[in-house]
Amino acid sequence: MQKNRKKFHFRLGRTIAWILAIAFFIISLFPIWWMFNIVFSPAGVPIAINPRLYPTSISAGIKNITFILSESNVFRAYMNSITYCALEIAGSVLLCSLAAYEFALFDFPGKNVLFAVILLSLMVPTAVTLVPTFLLVARLNWLNSMRGLVVPGLASAFGLFMLTQFFKDIPREIMDAAEIDGASHFGIYWYVVLPLSRNALITLAILTFMMTWGNFIWPIVIAKRAEIITVSQMINWYNDPNSFATINSQMTAFLLAALLPIIVYTLFQRQIIQGISITGLKG
Amino acid sequence: MENAEYLPGSAKTNRDMRVDRGKAPVSILRGARKNYKHYLMLLPFFFFYVVFFLYPIYLGFNTSFYKWDGVNPAQYVGLNNYINLLRSSDFIKSFTNLLKYVSITVPVGITVAFLLALFVNSLKGSWSTIVRSAYFIPTMMPLFLAASIWRWMYAPEVGMINTALGWLGFDSINWLKDPKVMIFSLVMVDVWRSAGWNMVILLAGLKNIPEEYYDAARVDGANKFQEVIYITIPQLEPVLFFVIAQGFIFALQVFDAPWLLTLSTTQGYGGRLKALLFPTMDMFGRAFGVVKFGEASAYGFLLTALIVTITSILFFLRRRE
Repeated sequence: MQKNRKKFHFRLGRTIAWILAIAFFIISLFPIWWMFNIVFSPAGVPIAINPRLYPTSISAGIKNITFILSESNVFRAYMNSITYCALEIAGSVLLCSLAAYEFALFDFPGKNVLFAVILLSLMVPTAVTLVPTFLLVARLNWLNSMRGLVVPGLASAFGLFMLTQFFKDIPREIMDAAEIDGASHFGIYWYVVLPLSRNALITLAILTFMMTWGNFIWPIVIAKRAEIITVSQMINWYNDPNSFATINSQMTAFLLAALLPIIVYTLFQRQIIQGISITGLKG
Repeated sequence: MENAEYLPGSAKTNRDMRVDRGKAPVSILRGARKNYKHYLMLLPFFFFYVVFFLYPIYLGFNTSFYKWDGVNPAQYVGLNNYINLLRSSDFIKSFTNLLKYVSITVPVGITVAFLLALFVNSLKGSWSTIVRSAYFIPTMMPLFLAASIWRWMYAPEVGMINTALGWLGFDSINWLKDPKVMIFSLVMVDVWRSAGWNMVILLAGLKNIPEEYYDAARVDGANKFQEVIYITIPQLEPVLFFVIAQGFIFALQVFDAPWLLTLSTTQGYGGRLKALLFPTMDMFGRAFGVVKFGEASAYGFLLTALIVTITSILFFLRRRE
């Protein structure tokens, strides 16, 4: 009797677990699936008739996409976002790797103090720096410019911290061998450490991309004029809360905005997950 | 004097055996000369760090004691900004909302993430990867996109949620305009998005627990539930703490989702009855809506004070364990 009850509880527990797991599986994917369906459905049909549970019309989808893309502002916003991300990645990887090289592999006076300062900044919320950084950028006359968008985020404490952890695993023997061969301090960095840490750099690049593409608060502070607007602001253009027809335009804009992150995620899934896991294990 | 370091036949002059006396100026110069290349490599990062991070903090602190609208000259007002804020009803509302929001979304989010991690950990092979990817996809969506899609899902007539509720026979809920419900709508979006991120971190922690611990427990007769309580959670403690602390720090700064869910602008934000008004939003609105930079700076520091307080409490509680 006792054994049967235990087995029943076990079965019940497992069943509930599976139900919840499947439920969350559906909930995770559904909004994105829904967005996709709306784009590929004929416009104007009320939800009661077609609840948009699956795509129904490829031609409607193509019409939606070409309508949105044909607006020159959309294309420009896309280009702005791509440029913003590319510059942010390049600058961030360069600055953080130079500094991480020192913190991970060498000792020098003041090293611990400097590292502690950086670590503390991980605690400082954007709230404190948002308004003053805006004031500084305004004073530099960098408002509404790519410089103003990119530069403030370059010295990323998170990136430095992550790269330092990765760099610590670089084998000293190879570095010593390079030094014996006559490589300069910078040369060791450039010719030995960087190539060996390619995975870490790629991971940082991808995480920076995700964070920069999704950055909403900074562009709406800095990029007000049409020529510098980014994708994160563009999606709100087609916004008439009462008209059902706009849901198509909105969802199409959303889909286009989500395209790049989804592609990057699909290609680099392993690196992304590895990068995030490491922060937890070593944090 | 016998000196084993010197091999027979090597030069043994008086100069070799001279004792090094007193270092002073020579060594500082030598230290600088030896280390300059390190500082040089650090310079690019620290230049931008000081100019665009440390200096703004100082500037913000300074500005918070002034009244400034960007056009007229700044007037020194001492602690007035802080005092006025602490008395302002919007400020109190935003902090109340924030505490309510954080106290719901962090426990719920982490519990969900933990359960998902346990589930994915129990799967094998390619199913494990597929399910993990599915749970992780919401995190890959940019937050502004997630909030915008959910805004449509919450829409009264055309939104999927109310439509689904209708099929099941329930009444529609006014997710984004009913002040009593709005916080929960926001929590749902946040949990939807953050569960995958936290799950990945917890999963990595789970995989680090040696199988032997579970085997030993099973020999002692423990069932699945007991295994989790007595082995998994204690072993996972550092990772759990990290996830909880990170969760609090992010949640306390919430901006994107409530801003977009309520279609806020700098002229009007926070939704009906300011149910979704949060500190970062209020600070943003005061800086760029009514343009009171001093007040906004003070707001930022007050929010930071709260974050530091809560984080310290977390660390303190952990130390007591």
